[in-house]
Amino acid sequence: MGKVLNYFPSPAKILIVDSNSSERCLLKRFFLEHSYIVVDAASGRDALTSFKKHRPDIVLLDLLMSDISGFDVAVRIKALAGDDFIPIVFLTSLQDERSLVRCVEVGDDFLAKPYSQIVLQAKINSLINMRNMQLTLINQRDEITNYNHDLLQQQDVAKRVFDRIAHAGVLGADNIKYHLSPLSIFNGDVMLAGVSPTGNLVVFLGDFTGHGLHAAIGSMPLAQTFYTMLKKGFSLREIVREINITLCEILPVDLFCCAFIAEINFNNCHLRVWNAGLPDCVIYRSSTREVVKLASNHIPMGINETLNFDATVRVYEIEPGDRLYVWSDGIHEAQNSRGDMFGEDRLMDVFACNSRVENLFEEINTAVDHFIGDSAAEDDVSLLEITMIKADLFKLDKRAALNSDGLGLKDWRMRLELRPETLKSFDPLPLLLHILMNVPHLQPYGGQVYTVISELYSNSLEHGVLGLDSAVKLSSVGFTEYYQHREASLAKLSKGYVIIDLDYSGNEEGGDLKIIIEDSGVGFDYQQMLCEDAFKNQFSGRGIHLIRSLSQSLHYAGSGNKAYATFVWSD
Amino acid sequence: MAITSTFSADSGDLVIAISGRFDFSSHQEFRGVYENVDVKSGAYVIDLANSSYLDSSALGMLLMLRDYAGGDEANVSIINCNNDVKKILNVSNFEQLFTIK
Amino acid sequence: MIDPVHLDLEILSELKEVMGEEFTFLIEVFKTDSIVRISAIKEALASKDPDAVRRAAHSFKGSASNMGAIRLTNLCRKLEEIGGSGNINEAEVIAEEIVDAYSHVEKALG
Repeated sequence: MGKVLNYFPSPAKILIVDSNSSERCLLKRFFLEHSYIVVDAASGRDALTSFKKHRPDIVLLDLLMSDISGFDVAVRIKALAGDDFIPIVFLTSLQDERSLVRCVEVGDDFLAKPYSQIVLQAKINSLINMRNMQLTLINQRDEITNYNHDLLQQQDVAKRVFDRIAHAGVLGADNIKYHLSPLSIFNGDVMLAGVSPTGNLVVFLGDFTGHGLHAAIGSMPLAQTFYTMLKKGFSLREIVREINITLCEILPVDLFCCAFIAEINFNNCHLRVWNAGLPDCVIYRSSTREVVKLASNHIPMGINETLNFDATVRVYEIEPGDRLYVWSDGIHEAQNSRGDMFGEDRLMDVFACNSRVENLFEEINTAVDHFIGDSAAEDDVSLLEITMIKADLFKLDKRAALNSDGLGLKDWRMRLELRPETLKSFDPLPLLLHILMNVPHLQPYGGQVYTVISELYSNSLEHGVLGLDSAVKLSSVGFTEYYQHREASLAKLSKGYVIIDLDYSGNEEGGDLKIIIEDSGVGFDYQQMLCEDAFKNQFSGRGIHLIRSLSQSLHYAGSGNKAYATFVWSD
Repeated sequence: MAITSTFSADSGDLVIAISGRFDFSSHQEFRGVYENVDVKSGAYVIDLANSSYLDSSALGMLLMLRDYAGGDEANVSIINCNNDVKKILNVSNFEQLFTIK
Repeated sequence: MIDPVHLDLEILSELKEVMGEEFTFLIEVFKTDSIVRISAIKEALASKDPDAVRRAAHSFKGSASNMGAIRLTNLCRKLEEIGGSGNINEAEVIAEEIVDAYSHVEKALG
């Protein structure tokens, strides 16, 4: 592109074909006078040779010639010209209507002898203008074809670039099935899946308004923010907030992103979901065949900078075997040849008719395909299925340690005291995780270490500083209440502290991290923890079972407001 | 698809009535109806009584009007929605941004 | 003085204007061409081929009309019509008149 095309070959080249040499001489003179380039031929055969050699812009053709008739010459010239419009004007003194009609059918016009110079010039000029117009059209058509070709290539490149970012995720995990249309990015759909340092699976399905490139604009920063923040251990709330702010900044007012985000904690069997503008998604309970609808209760992302995440996020308890289904409105709006939409009722019918849950994902796809039939509608379906499994089954390849060169934090101690103003608004865990990721060889254990610290920290903050009762969490209703209560208490917080004390020493073979977390709270009866039965029932809310399973030792001191855990690793 | 606008006689609000499908094809027309129009009361009313369907770009257009009318301070109401339209507005929780009657 | 029946001077002066310096060349071309046309007409008559008569006359008619040779043009048209009709009994007479008319034109062109 950017090349200036000269559509108008100037001056025009004219081929004069007449067996009569004085006529030829006269016409030749006339057109030379009017700045044409003139070539001439005295017979039909010469005319064809000359046409091939000179490729004129217009042809004046004597109708009566001894070798080939003017009509036949015209037919052959038109065939040689192909797509190119090269006007042919017959020179004739014939008067009969049939011949004149034929002139216009085979050629483009005729001139009766003797010629009027004015008519001759007017006709030739108007035909040359027609040819130039046609050349312009052909050139524009070619330009559009080339442009379209370029565009498709660019889309392909864009798609490959995007795929590399989007597929840095874990959509390939054993318990995930998904269907995305090949050009979903240009339909405005984004599907992301990643694992947090705590081992939680986080999935995101977004549907941008509109189609084409502008729908894809937001996808890139969205995917990048999602994966970067998830890897660094930011909470769901912070990830959602950051994505929303980014989208508000980059998207025009009328563009936004309907989104569904879910975090699955395989350890404690909790599912947190947040639906901002996507159709009802579904939890399918394997034991009861119950369909739990997850309705949208928030405005889509990219509209308003302030989010109401905590009030709209929902927590569900799930069991291994339960499945989460997430889709964009592409399924609901899939059309058959009569223009009917697939709709939610048909979608729910698929659930009602299902007998083996393992087949449900394929059954949904098949039902939509059958419904669309031969309407050849573009596939615009994004569908995601996640199966709940036991925590130990959800394993992903441990990434190669980044600090394998052995440089970094080998022997150190740090103490971080968090006071009310910090506790209210700042999550220290990503910061701590970042530090721990700089410990040589520790990265593969990042998830475990993070879980231990994060469980101990939330115990200290929620039960110690805020004095919340973990028993409330036992029912699913209470679970939501608990987190609402937590939010309210945090907002009012004016005194208290949490101290995080980390002490590490290690070498190539292994290392040893001591974690001490102390809070300003009244503590709890940790002695009772020694009794196995009691601990199972009463203290499960504190995640102590989990901490124990991940660390080498856990004990409490003081009134129970100071926890000591050690994490030891060796190759 | 047709868009007409009138000033309400008693309130002076700009009433924009949309009939048929409300989708991207009406983008220019929709903007033309409220841009450069002096609405003394500052209030806009979208009448969807004769609108059977709206797509996400229609939601985008509503957001554009809201932005034009003052963003968070805008006074835009959407009236006479049928059930399908209401459902589309509900899924996106647009009742937080517009007055839906 | 040239009889305008043989040569229309107005057309001739127009040609002079168009052709400029090449006017004499055009006259030469016309003269050479006319000899060829006349012999073509005679040949066609000798072989009693009406269509060949028609084409030869048609061709001569074109160049004659361009030069403003009015009588010659009219005679060529007549011969063309006769050739077209298929009955060339009267063609011989017309052909002789064409030769005569041309000799006047040739003389007038100098």
